[in-house]
Formats: sequence, C-alpha cells, structure tokens
Amino acid sequence: MSDELVTLTIDDKEVQVAPGTLIVDAAAAVNVEIPIFCSHPKLDPVACCRMCLVEVEGPRGPMLQTACSVPVREGMVVHTDTEQVQATQEANLAFILLNHPLDCPICDKGGECPLQDQTMRFGPGISQLVEPKRHKQKDYHISDTIVLDQERCIICWRCIRYLEEWEDKPQLALFKRGGATLIDIQPGQPVDAKTGGNIIDICPVGALTSKVARFGFRPWQVERTPSIDPHFSTGDNIRIDTRTYAIRRIVGRENMGVNDQWIADKTRFAWAWVNSDERLTTPLVRKDGELQPATWSEALQAVTDGLKRVKERQGADAVGGIGSAKLSNEANYLLQRFMRQIVGTNNVDHRDGGDVAALSTGIPSLAAVMQPQYGPPPQYDVIMLVGVDPSEEAPILDLHIKRAVRRSGTTLVIAHPRHIELTRYPGSYLGYRPGSEATLLNGLARMALAVKGEENQTVSQLTDDATDERLLNLCGVDPEAVEGAARLLVEAKNPLILYGPMAAQGATGEQVRNGLTNLAMVLDCYENLGYLGLNANSQGCRDVGVLPDALPGHAPLDDEAARTLLAELWGGELPTAPGKTYRQMLDAAGDDIGALLVMGADPAGERPEWAANLAQLDFLAVQELFLTDTARLADVVLPAVSWAEGDGTFTNCERRIQRAPKAVSNPASKAAQDWMILDHIAAHMGMQWPYASAQGVLEEITTAIPAYAGLDWTALGDQGVQWNAETVRPRPAYRRCRQDDLPAAGEGELALVTGTVAYDGGTLFRLTQAMRDMIHAAAVTLNPDDAAQAGVKDNDAVLVRSAHGELRLRAAVSEEIEPGTAWIPESLPGAPVGALLNGREQEFVTITPQ
Amino acid sequence: MVLTEAIRAEIQKWIDLYPLGRGRSAILPALYIIQREFGYCRVEAQNELAEMLDLEPAEVGGVVDFYHMLHTEPKGEYHVEVCTNVPCMLRGAGQCMDHFEEQLDIHHGQTTEDDRFSLDHMECLGSCGTAPMVSVTERETGKIRYFEELHSGEDVKAALEVIKTGNAFDVLERWTPDGDPQRTGKAAGPYRHGGMETRYLTARVNEPDSHAIDTYMADGGYETARRALNEMQPQDVLEQVKASGIRGRGGAGFPTGVKWGFLPEGSFPRYLVVNADESEPGTFKDRMIMEYDPHQLIEGIILSSYAIKANRAFIYIRGEYYFGFTRLVEAVKEAQAKGFLGENIFGTDYDLKLVVHRGAGAYECGEETALLSSLEGYRGHPRMKPPFPAVEGLYAKPTIVNNVESISNVIQVMRHGVEWYRGFGTEKSPGMRIFCLSGNVKRPGLYELPHATPLRELIYEYGGGPQHEDAPIKAVVPGGLSMKLLTVEQLDTPLDYESVAEAGSALGSAGVIVIDEGASMVDVALRTISFYREESCGKCTPCREGTGWLENILLRIQAGEGRQRDLPLLEHVASFVTGKSFCPFGDAAVWGLQSNLTKFRGEFIELIDATNPTGATPNLPIRPIYRPDVGSPSNVANNALEPTGDSPLNRDHVVETVE
Repeated sequence: MSDELVTLTIDDKEVQVAPGTLIVDAAAAVNVEIPIFCSHPKLDPVACCRMCLVEVEGPRGPMLQTACSVPVREGMVVHTDTEQVQATQEANLAFILLNHPLDCPICDKGGECPLQDQTMRFGPGISQLVEPKRHKQKDYHISDTIVLDQERCIICWRCIRYLEEWEDKPQLALFKRGGATLIDIQPGQPVDAKTGGNIIDICPVGALTSKVARFGFRPWQVERTPSIDPHFSTGDNIRIDTRTYAIRRIVGRENMGVNDQWIADKTRFAWAWVNSDERLTTPLVRKDGELQPATWSEALQAVTDGLKRVKERQGADAVGGIGSAKLSNEANYLLQRFMRQIVGTNNVDHRDGGDVAALSTGIPSLAAVMQPQYGPPPQYDVIMLVGVDPSEEAPILDLHIKRAVRRSGTTLVIAHPRHIELTRYPGSYLGYRPGSEATLLNGLARMALAVKGEENQTVSQLTDDATDERLLNLCGVDPEAVEGAARLLVEAKNPLILYGPMAAQGATGEQVRNGLTNLAMVLDCYENLGYLGLNANSQGCRDVGVLPDALPGHAPLDDEAARTLLAELWGGELPTAPGKTYRQMLDAAGDDIGALLVMGADPAGERPEWAANLAQLDFLAVQELFLTDTARLADVVLPAVSWAEGDGTFTNCERRIQRAPKAVSNPASKAAQDWMILDHIAAHMGMQWPYASAQGVLEEITTAIPAYAGLDWTALGDQGVQWNAETVRPRPAYRRCRQDDLPAAGEGELALVTGTVAYDGGTLFRLTQAMRDMIHAAAVTLNPDDAAQAGVKDNDAVLVRSAHGELRLRAAVSEEIEPGTAWIPESLPGAPVGALLNGREQEFVTITPQ
Repeated sequence: MVLTEAIRAEIQKWIDLYPLGRGRSAILPALYIIQREFGYCRVEAQNELAEMLDLEPAEVGGVVDFYHMLHTEPKGEYHVEVCTNVPCMLRGAGQCMDHFEEQLDIHHGQTTEDDRFSLDHMECLGSCGTAPMVSVTERETGKIRYFEELHSGEDVKAALEVIKTGNAFDVLERWTPDGDPQRTGKAAGPYRHGGMETRYLTARVNEPDSHAIDTYMADGGYETARRALNEMQPQDVLEQVKASGIRGRGGAGFPTGVKWGFLPEGSFPRYLVVNADESEPGTFKDRMIMEYDPHQLIEGIILSSYAIKANRAFIYIRGEYYFGFTRLVEAVKEAQAKGFLGENIFGTDYDLKLVVHRGAGAYECGEETALLSSLEGYRGHPRMKPPFPAVEGLYAKPTIVNNVESISNVIQVMRHGVEWYRGFGTEKSPGMRIFCLSGNVKRPGLYELPHATPLRELIYEYGGGPQHEDAPIKAVVPGGLSMKLLTVEQLDTPLDYESVAEAGSALGSAGVIVIDEGASMVDVALRTISFYREESCGKCTPCREGTGWLENILLRIQAGEGRQRDLPLLEHVASFVTGKSFCPFGDAAVWGLQSNLTKFRGEFIELIDATNPTGATPNLPIRPIYRPDVGSPSNVANNALEPTGDSPLNRDHVVETVE
C-alpha cells in the first residue's frame, strides 16, 4: 500500500488521510460527526445499522453510502448534511426507536447513551408509531455477570463481533430473524469468555449491563478516577467510578501500549472486596491470647517491641519481612528499606520472589504482541509459552495472543504440563512432565542447533544430556514433537519466548532460566526472552528490591555502586549476607526465624505446614485488608487500605510504571496505607523517614533505582512509562542447565500439576457475590484414562494424598489433562494445594475414591 | 452423547464433500440429519454438532433459528404447510387453508392431538402455476412432497387420505387429485408448460424419464460439453458467452459473460455456485429444469465451470425443493458414472467436483452474498460489496454465482452458436425465456418464449385470458412479487428488460402474476409485505424495522382502524426502506407496495372510509415500565393504566404493557 495520503472533501472541507481510512474516521478528522451505532473503532465494519449513510458524489449523482464501511478515495466528495442525509438519519432513528422501550429513567446507560445523544442531535423529534411495541426479554442473564435487555438492543452486532473477533468465542449469536431477531446465547450455555464483560462497555445502548454494577450509579453522578487493574500483571488500564465512599463500577480505559481498551471480567466485576464488611477497620493487638481492637499507637508500639525483642534475642537475621506483588511499589520499597536499614537483614522477599528464577527485565513489550484494529501488526511470528497459561493468568495478554494468531498468522509453541486453552490453535504442543523443564529446554536447544545445521561446541556439550531417550522418559515428550517445535522456532523471523513462575521455581529454577537463555541465544533472540510474573506488581516488587539477594534496581547485594547510593540515601550500613527467600523464611519460622512482618500475604492459607510454623513465631505482625489465616495467628494486625484507597504506582510485566491514584475512601475506617504504616513503625523504632506522601516515596524510588530516574507522579501520566530494559539486562552467556532424573511414578501415582486460575477462592474474588458460582470448584482434574484407572467419575468425592499430606476434593475428568498427571489449582476454596507440597520439583499423588 | 456413531459418520460424509477445513458448510445437511433423527433440532444434538464442527454452540443455535425448515420443537408426523403467498392467495389458498383447518380440526400453527399433523402457513413454495398447494414433510424420513391443485374440500380430503396411507412418500414427485384418481399416491408428472413451437430449455420435459441421462444423451446431451472441453480453450467459451449477451435469469438481469470477466486473473481456486434458491413468489421455472431435465443443468455447469476455470461447483437448491434435490443427486451420480464429472472428464485433464447443497428455508439466501454465507454454514445474511463474489466469494475465493436458467442458456449458446442465440429476443435482451405465469389466468404455467413477447400475448394466447369471465384483469406483476405493479393499460408491454423497465417495473425473474378485479389490492399489499417481513434476515435496521411497521399499519387498516394519514405514512416508511437497506431486499420489499399505493390508492381510501369513517386513532394504553425489577408487581395499584375511552395523552407515544 502506498503511504501517500489521500485527499478528499467532506462537507466542503478538504482533508488528507492515510489510504484505507474509512469515511467516518476521515470526517472525524475535520470535526464532522457522522452518527454511528454498529461501527466501532476496534471492530470490523458491518454496516448494518445504516445510521451513517452519507452522500458520496459519483458519476450518476450523489449516492448514499455507509461512511463506516467505505474507505476514502482520492478526490472523493462527501456530504453529511444534505437534506437527503438528514431525512435518512431521522427516518433511521425512527426505525431504531420504533420498538425501543425508552425506559431511559431506569437505564444504566442513560446519560452516556449514544442512542440518547443521537436522538437528540439527529432524531425526528416525534414518533409516528400507533401500534403496540414489540416485546422481548428484559431481564435476561446471559452469564453470571452480564444482563441482556433484548428490548433495548438495537442489533448492532458489536457484542457478537467482540466475542468473535477478539475472544474467538462467539458465544453470543443472532437468533430468530426479521423483526424478531435477537441477540442470545445457546440455551444453557452462558457467556464464559474471560473478557466477555467488555461487551458492556461497547454496547451503544443499555442492552448489556453489569449485574454487579447496575442500578448502582448514574453516569453523571460518579467521580471517575483513571487507575489500573489490581489483579493481573499486564496492568490493564481501568477507570474507577465512585460515589458516596463506594466503588460503583469499573470500566475499561484505553491504553494502546497495554490493553487496547479491553479489561478482564475479574477486573471489571470482582471489586466487592473493596467495600466489604469483612475489611479490617482498626488495629488489633493480641491480649490474653485474643486479638483485640487497639489504638494505632498501642499497635505500633507492640510491633516495635516485638521486633526489637526478637532482634535482640536472636539477632537481625532472625527477623524477616514478607512483601506482596499485589501491593504498590511504594509499600514494597519501604518494606525492604525497613528490613535492610532498620532491622538490618536481607530477609525480605515475596511469594514467587527469590524462590523463582525470574528475569529482571520482565517481558519485552505488550505493544509488540498486540494487533489493534488499526495499527501495526505484532512483531513476533512465533510465540513460545513455557509453563505459563495466559488464558488463566493474564487474560488480556491471552486476548492479544489470540488476535495475533488469527489476524497476523502468529504461530504458538506451547510447553505446559496441561493442555491449556491456547493449544486449540495450530502450532506445537509439548506436554511435559512437571519438573522436567530443564531437560526439555536442552532438548529444544539441541534440536534447534541441528535444524539450523550449525556447529556449536558449547551448546552441544551443555545439552548433551537431553537425549531422545531422556526426552521421552524423563519429560514424557515425543522427541519428534520437540524437533517440530524447534523447527518452528528456528524458522521464525522473530520468536518471542515467555515463561512463568511455575516453570522456574525451586531448586531447579536457576537451571531452567539458564536453559531458556541458552535456547534464546541459539535462536538469536536473547532480548525476546521474557518472564511473566502473575500479580499486578510482580515486576515492581522485584524492581524495588523485595528480594533476599538483590537491592533496589536489581543490584546484587555486593554491588558497590548500589550500596553506596543506598547508604547515602538512607544513612548507615546495609547488611551483606544474603537473606532467606519467602519459602525459606516460612520453613524456618519458629526456628531460625523468630519474627516476621507480613504485608499483604497469606502464607498460612497457602500451606497448612506454614500455618503451624507461623504459630511458633516469637512475634508476628501482619498488615492486611482482611483477617486472613495468617492475620489470625498474628500478635499485631495492622489494617491496611486497598489499591483504590490510596495513591501508589505499579510496574507491569513489561516494566511500565503506572499510577493508581486514590479513588475512594472509607471515613469510618482507621485503616491506613501500607507505606504510611511502615513509615510509622520506623518512627516508633526511632527512625524519622522524610515522606509526606506516596509521591514522596516514589521520588526516593526514582533515586534509588537508576532505571526509574527522572520519573515522578506527574510524568507517569495516565498511560504510564516503560523503563529501559537494557539498563539491567545481563550480558548473554551460555550457562549450565542440568537436572537429575526425577523419581518414577509408583503404582497408581500421578504427577501433581498446580498453577493459578483466574477464578480462584481468594478473598479478592470470593467476596463478589455474583461471581461465586464461577469459582473453580475444589476439584482435582484427571485424564479420563487415569480417572478410570482410579475408579472415579466426574464429581466423585476423592481423597488426594501425597507423601506430605492429603486433601479431600471432588474429581473432575477432562481430556485437557495429560495422562499421568493430576491438576489442582492454587487457592481453591477451602482446599490449599499447599497441603500436598513440600517444595520439591515434583510431587506425586494418589487418588482414592471416598 | 446423543449423536450416535452412525449419525456422526453420516455427518462426516457431508463434511468430506466440502473443501478441507470448510466443514462448517455441512451444518445444514447435518441439521437435516439431526432433525430426521430426533424430529427436531435438539439442543443437545446442536451442541454436539458444534463440537464436531469446532464451533461454539451459539453459532449452531443461531443457524437453526434462522432457517424456516429447521425446528427447535417437534412438529407432527406430517407437517402440512399451505402456501398462502400472493400467487396462491389469488387462486384460493385461503379456502385451502380453511379446508385443512376444518378437516384436521386444528388452527394453523397447531398440531393434532394424536401428533399426526401439524399445520402452518408457508411462503411461496415455487408452485404458483399449480396453486393452491401444500408441501408435506414426513418427520421420520425428512422427505418432502408437494400436493398441488387442491381447489376444493374434496381435493384436500383426497390429499389427506393419501398421506394417511403412510406410503405417500414412496414417490416424491408432485401429487394432484386429478393425476391420481385411485388415491394410490401416484405422481402427476410435469406441470403445465408450453410456449413457442420449438422449445429448447423445456424441450425434453414431456418425454418419459426425461430426467435420466440416457434421455438427455439421446437428444445430443453432453456432446456440446465434450466438444468444448476437447476443442476449445476456456477463454473461448467465456468469449462466446460474453458475445451471446445472456442476461442473468435470477432477477437482476446482469450479463453473465461480463460477470465472468470480473474474475481476477491468476487467482485460484475459483468456484461456480449455481443459485437454485428459487424463492421469488411467482417464479417456478428452475424447479422444472431440476426436476425434469437435471442433466441440462449439469452440462451447463460443466461448460460454465470450464470457462471460468473452476474445479468445484455447488448447486445451492432451496430446501423445499426436495424432489428436485433428489433428482439432481441422482443425475450427478449418473454423470459421474459416465465420467462427465469428477477427474479427467471427457478424457481431458479437466476435473470438476459438483456438490448439491440444500438450503433450509430462507428467501434471503437467493441474494448471492447471503447464499454464499449460507453455503459456508452461517446464517443467510448478505455481505458487504465490494468485495464482489467474483473477487472474494465462497470461502473468500473468486466465485461466480449464476441462476439455473442462466446456466442452462449457456448450453444453448454453445450448442447452436451466438448468432443463432441472438436471433431470439432483442438486441439488449437476447435469447429465450421461461415465463412463469400465475394468478388469475385460465392456464397458469411455464411458457418458453423469446424475450419481447408482449405481456398481452402471454396472458391471453398462452394463459387463456382471465380466470373468471366476470373479473377482468386489474394488475400484473411482471417479474416476481418484488417488482412494481403494471396496470391493465400496460398489457402491451413487450417482455424484455428495457421495455418493462420503461413501463416502470422490471422483468426480474419473469414471474408474471396476474391480478383480477376480484382481488383486494389492500390484501395484495398486506400479503406482499407480510412475506418480506417474514423473510427479512434482520441484519439492517430499515428492512428489519420498516417491513414490520408497514405490516402493522396495513393490518390495522384491514382491521378497521386505518386513518387516511396512514397512506402518506406508509409511503414515508417505504421510501426510507428502499435504497437505505443493506441489500436489494429492502427495495424488493417495498416496490410492490409503493406502486400499489400509487396506482390503486383509491382502494385503500375506500376501505378506510368504509371501516373507520371518523378516522379515529386506535386507543392503546401507555404503559412503559420504569421499574428495574420488571418481573415483580408495583406497590401501587395498576388499575390506573387500563385503557379507557379516549386518552387525553398524545397518542404518538403509546407503549403497550408487558403481560
């Protein structure tokens, strides 16, 4: 296509636009509004509502054409305001309104409704209908969260097209025909696409409304705060609408570098926890064995006393701090400053922190994976996913990947112990045995080298363990499939490799990261290797140094420059000995670890064993929103506020630092922001920190982390700023990647596969009433063959036992589970899979019917 | 699992008929199989089919709901559908329906208590020359047979007797009371036809076994294709067709050769799709060709496919033409056995695969892009043009869509030569035409005549003049129900594209419907718009909303609540459907009404004056619902909302209550 602009005339105004631009967009460029309903800038044109008919001059006089579907031509002359066009607009609106119920007074869309606005601007002003209106279903639930009013619907197909063009799940369709046409689901098959709620945002009338938000707001009464999603690591941009100290709804906000304008349903609907009655509103201090309400000064004093006591008795390294990738940079930064500066230990970490061999640089860029409706294609022709399931773990990334596959021909190579949803696309699937990642990656590197026909002594030596025989027996993967995957990767122009925490944790995590690096280097795409953390601030938590072996800015503990910088900034000396990781601290709790300060984490709920350990602690302080299992064990509980109730920044998986300003507050609560709580504890311990606000903390972060230099609250704007990966990317080097043989499965034993699901039993999801039925059941899912072997059927009660513990669950049977494995996600309601785990790469379980 | 292995295997056979990866095309055949097995399209079966075709269940559900012939609830053992569209209406379809209702003791829309019979209205079934008629579907087998010329209660009784024997579906060819005095279910043979002395398109239909390949070959059949494939280049065939000036017989009259010329060079594969979705009320010519001379069509397909270098062709035949479908399927088998279809046909290196695909009851699928949507396994919605099918058609590949009769004309050109062909008709409307004559004439039927035969000659000489001596002809629809009405003053119009256009209408599909003084033009207008309301695909606003509104107004006028100002309102609404809708359906929907209102306005005025002399506006209650919980009762009494007497409120904003 030529890049030369096309010149045309719209209402006597000359306009120059890129070739391929639609008339409606060209008109917008010269401030000419053409009314539309079915047209949407993020969807393919369908030209069915006929609202945008304009006159285009042609050889046979002016012709009415739909501005939403006709691209501009050189010399085109368009009129949008002639008598004919106006009469057509009036008549068409009369058609649209003919059977519309006009129940605007109780319609959520009222006040921000394109149908209202256009009736005002372009409508006929009077109805000539004398007949009764047509009736359809008004309170019709197409999912647990979305309500359809078929009478309000004007059949613009936007919802259908969104589900088809973006989600690739056309779960809504037109049913019936003619005047009876309606949007519907197949009976008994509700919409379950993970981002299905976006159809509410794009509905041009009030036909689709949110079950959790409807009748709870008037658009003109709410206060709108641009923010970001607190659930997923992509940092999807949202807007929080609030009124009278409560969140009223959350909608998507456009950021073409992150989420286009789409957000996940969990983001949109699961916010009831913010205004929940279960929230902690006052500090609690344990007195006479019971947690009892206390004043802030009592509580802070108790924390000070507890931490000092243990430090004095057992030394600084008996105290530990646990941060959270769900909390802001500011909170996490201060936690590690507190531990390092005031306590004097490197015992500071978070879940999936030091226990996972991550990459300091996250993933290269979301924009490079995106295929917007109008915009450049994705940069990757092959995307490899290792132990990561975007459909459950990052729904918006999932959306981008699907779009890349379907619109741009990107091919997927998926290595995952489970047949994840994205395996439905053509490409390569390697269903490896959990714990065998290192060998599989060596196999891929070895075969990639072979496919390329290159000699590389180093790589050959490093990967000589990954024989065909070992791939088959250890990884459980057909060597030919590995070769096929390697071929796809080698033949790719620009492959992207993403891995998640599941693939690189525990003792072999380092080996897996090395294996991934080696593979990326063989494929000449070292910069395209990415680590996808799973929480809203997984990246930021690492950036600010909530790691036992790294200072802020990913500096090693012995990095002199960093130490000097921080020593100057904070004053005093920094501890030198590496700290304990999250798991190590919890394993040692009550033993080498005598006191813990836990901020926004619930290890007691994760593993029963850790709950027992925490109960043995000399002192436990917890900063929390809710009285979690961990908080119940605490000596002091400090009530914190959520991401929506205080200012903070979060860094997403592609290193984009984004603002989450305060959107709402609860005047009846004494809860405080995490950074402020830490600031006060510091003060009680005799250290006056200089922060007046979260912005002040951010200012210090930008000094402490060179990559963040130059940023401040204002500079971040509403779209965030990415920091430059090159500042911290390690130099590429081939490294050793080896693993021992895994124990073979015994009779009736299945390898346990665990991981994250979007709809888990966690507090942040569970408290949204409407979504309760969507929570992943407390179940173990088995391959049909294994289920038959174990003598269990779907929904049978079973006892799942490992060498380490047992769980009572329901059985589920699915082809998506590889033979020889059992799938139990984390955070199932009342069933911590942690009860079966003991930190090994591979756990075997047996299934017994009950 | 409700789909057994046997059913799945049968569905899989259909899937295999379409190009690899296009299994969705088999959705209608698969749903027919499901309907045959379960009596209707059970949701569980739909969902399992969705899984087989790798679709979401809603995609299958949406398709089922679009097509008239697919049911989501069981019908009776025999589903009787009475065509009540205009051509049948003019010849007594209303009485025919009454007879059925009386004899089955049910209202239309109902099923008899013993589950034997369901009775429904039906839109045009392509049997206008043999009206009134019904189509009957046997639930257990899915077979459909037409029972035609049911003029009296006796005839209806006879038809029901035959059906009740249980073996009425051993034969699928049409049945008439006169053709089967013994009531054994015997077939009636081809319906009335005639025309010029030597006929070409309908030359063989009277011969015994006219549908058999031997009959066709005895008349020189397949020789033209053999010669062309062996001796001519595709381009030469295309040039001849272009030179012949054949114009499309489906309705738009676009020159066939010119359409072929739009194919982008070097872009393959290409497809030929034969539009056999003959659904325009008043049109029943393609049915004759497919039922009684299918090889003529197949030879035409071979020639045309060769000319456009397509190796796959499809015949999209409307679902109601079950008999035609079986005849085509047999004929394809015969042709394959002779080596005229398949690989290396006629000993050349040219391959052609032909699939006969049944629609499932949707007038809109006669529109070429909607037909392609349907053939791909979607709801029959039209698609945006450009891209035109010749550039991006079936499966987004270059595709030519031609009508059955157009394809049959290709043989005539290739067999007899361009000069010979152009000897018929006029310069711009060359060749012969099968005129479909229906309505109030003595001898309705098919008449093969050259273009430009005067309308009067067709009606009087061939059709025998007005049906009833006491009811002179009042109006004529010259080209299928979509086209504008001609008055009796315009009977001398020659039936060629230009002349009919000059007379203010269009030759369309050459379905000539004659209306006499006995018919009410308001009835004609209402039945016409009801048809379009029923068949609107629902994609675009003006057509979806406008046709329903127009019908409602006409229904109200007929019910005695019309106002004189409804006439300009009708015109206003119609004027914003035509030219504003997505596809030509919108134009087709209102042209008849527009011309009716212009030419026969007096009848409307008279009816309104007679039934609603004061011009009172109907009294409808104003009851919008302002409660979020629409289902639950209001705290205040509802009695204030009862419609009582003349409302002081502005009636232009009335809304009816929800029950």
